[in-house]
Amino acid sequence: MKNWFKMISLIAVIMTGALLIYGTHDMPAWGDPDSPPNSHVSPRYILEATKLTATPNIVSAVLADYRSYDTLGESAVIFTASISCLFLLRRVRKEKKGRGQIDA
Amino acid sequence: MLEYILAKYNYWIYVVLMMIGLYAMMGKRNLVKKLIGMNIFQTSIILLFVSMGVKKGGATVPILLGDGHGHGEQLIQVADYLNPLPHVLMLTAIVVSIATTGVALATLILIYKRYHTLEEDEIMAIRKEAAAYKTLGT
Repeated sequence: MKNWFKMISLIAVIMTGALLIYGTHDMPAWGDPDSPPNSHVSPRYILEATKLTATPNIVSAVLADYRSYDTLGESAVIFTASISCLFLLRRVRKEKKGRGQIDA
Repeated sequence: MLEYILAKYNYWIYVVLMMIGLYAMMGKRNLVKKLIGMNIFQTSIILLFVSMGVKKGGATVPILLGDGHGHGEQLIQVADYLNPLPHVLMLTAIVVSIATTGVALATLILIYKRYHTLEEDEIMAIRKEAAAYKTLGT
């Protein structure tokens, strides 16, 4: 039963991997300076980020200036995760009535 | 043929990493191993995106030379700096992966406190036994 399930998952994983390797045929060659990801949008950032934001580091210019709302949402994600960790791991105080007790 | 392999082998490495992660998430029964598989999967995606920003031929990290106020600044050549956008996007992905890993580990601690095991089939057996006991009691 368990080995059967493992076989099914192995076949599914291999099929997914074969499909993705077939898909890499259309990907740009590694390190190609003229590939689509390197030639459409990013030259504008490299050429103009310093003039517009006065930040030599383009990564932090994009992170904190162009996409600052995205970074704000990112900090909201961190906040939500930490709050949920806090609520999951806090020690539940045992009450007299038995409410909130962790039943072992 | 060799040129084709040299141009594409990095993607194949990431596909193999993704297969390892996906198999760990689907085939393993230990919940910690499933979580490690999810982390391997996320790492493969991050590597895929970062490798798309690589430029061969002497490109360096996307930090411009000069002080950023126009002094001591040479003419900026696009081919001299790596693509900064995949780096930024994967920074966001790393943050999300850290958050999900943290919450998942906290949940695993709670599961271990309650069932004293992290094996999925043992947890399901305990739950089935508890449900049968409950219907028997009423």
